[in-house]
Amino acid sequence: MELTSRLINKDLLFSLNTQMADVIHRNYGLIPIISRFGINFGFGNKTIYEVCAENNINVRFFLEIVNSFHNPQYFPKKQLQTFPSALIIQYLSNTHKYYLKSKVPEIIGYINKMKELASDDNLKNIELIDNFFREYKNELEKHLANEDSRVFPYIMSLEEALETMDFNADLIDHIRNDSIEKYERNHGNLEEKLSDLKNLLIKFLPPVVSTEICQHLLTELFRLESDLENHTRIEEKVLVPRVKLLEQKVLESCG
Amino acid sequence: MDNSKDKIHVIIAARHILYRLGIKTILNVIGIEPELIEADSWDMIKSLQEKSDYEFVIISEEILPDPKLQHLESLKCSDENCSIMIINDGSSEEADYPCLSLDTENKKDIIERFQHFFFNNQSDEANSTTDKSVLSFREIDVLKAVATGASNKEIADMLFISINTVITHRKNITEKLGIKTIAGLTVYAIMNKFISPDEVTR
Repeated sequence: MELTSRLINKDLLFSLNTQMADVIHRNYGLIPIISRFGINFGFGNKTIYEVCAENNINVRFFLEIVNSFHNPQYFPKKQLQTFPSALIIQYLSNTHKYYLKSKVPEIIGYINKMKELASDDNLKNIELIDNFFREYKNELEKHLANEDSRVFPYIMSLEEALETMDFNADLIDHIRNDSIEKYERNHGNLEEKLSDLKNLLIKFLPPVVSTEICQHLLTELFRLESDLENHTRIEEKVLVPRVKLLEQKVLESCG
Repeated sequence: MDNSKDKIHVIIAARHILYRLGIKTILNVIGIEPELIEADSWDMIKSLQEKSDYEFVIISEEILPDPKLQHLESLKCSDENCSIMIINDGSSEEADYPCLSLDTENKKDIIERFQHFFFNNQSDEANSTTDKSVLSFREIDVLKAVATGASNKEIADMLFISINTVITHRKNITEKLGIKTIAGLTVYAIMNKFISPDEVTR
């Protein structure tokens, strides 16, 4: 009975009382999202509520993120905007780490293996793919590093200024000359490159000897792409509007 | 390089030169650079067709002798792969043939009509015979230039075409290949040996 209702309601949203194990059973694509929150396996039959409490995780935030990943039609923009910036930023930085420490090296690993196993006449082509991905990786790193080292601290300083009502000239200057609006945005090129890479592999790379590795590579590229889409959505639809509001409040507060 | 046998072959048949010039301009706008022959009489069309294969014939109705439909059929029969578009005053419809009515006032409509005529026919043909992703020779010229880092303006000057035509070619290349970025097009161009890796100046 349980099992059939689970199968039928595949898109049903997760709630506080859903067992954490069921989240993964229903959608294994959520495995990296859960671990991004610092949750490890071995949670027995505990519910989402219980696991989050144990790990000091804001359970409402966890639910909104997991549900919006699980069901692309579900995107509670308004609710998400109510969470503190620090929480959203922490999640986004963890996601950055996941891309750079886990996803990108994994993809590079596959490309390297393909190079190792390549036939002489196809090696040049795989090297082209390799260069293309490295170029993409550099751009991605630059983009994420800029967010981590400039954009996120700026947002935190806005929050702090509003809390302490202490508005220094630098911050006001930043809002006037370098507001968040300017930071919207160069995700476009990164997305296009990833999509190009997929097409190069699917349509144009002459068949490789290591077909299985090529399949893994392609699968990982699709996963990275969909993860990035979600990431971008949170940045553009949740974080940026929130920061615009903060900027406005700061400007109003100091006249 | 002689690309003439890979270009598409078009006959523009109309009595008046202004008329033919207008059609040539539209072909340029939609980014087609065919091997082009003009004809100003019915006899000339027939003799052209005997000499060589033409994939596209754009024909003004006034040039057709009566009975018009029958003459059209004869044109079609002599070469099955030939697509015919008729330009008329909109009062009569030659069934089964794409038509452009002279009272079409909107430039955009006219261009769309032509685009449909050329590109849809092309893709139908491509579906049945070759790979849809095959680029035309002109597109390959543009691709090579893009991949080596040339700007649209530079490409236009290099290939003696308008910037608009360059943009149209680029749009078509991206649609055919599914590759949008310059870096991606460069990889494709090298992979297919259109350019060598040393030619990339970035």
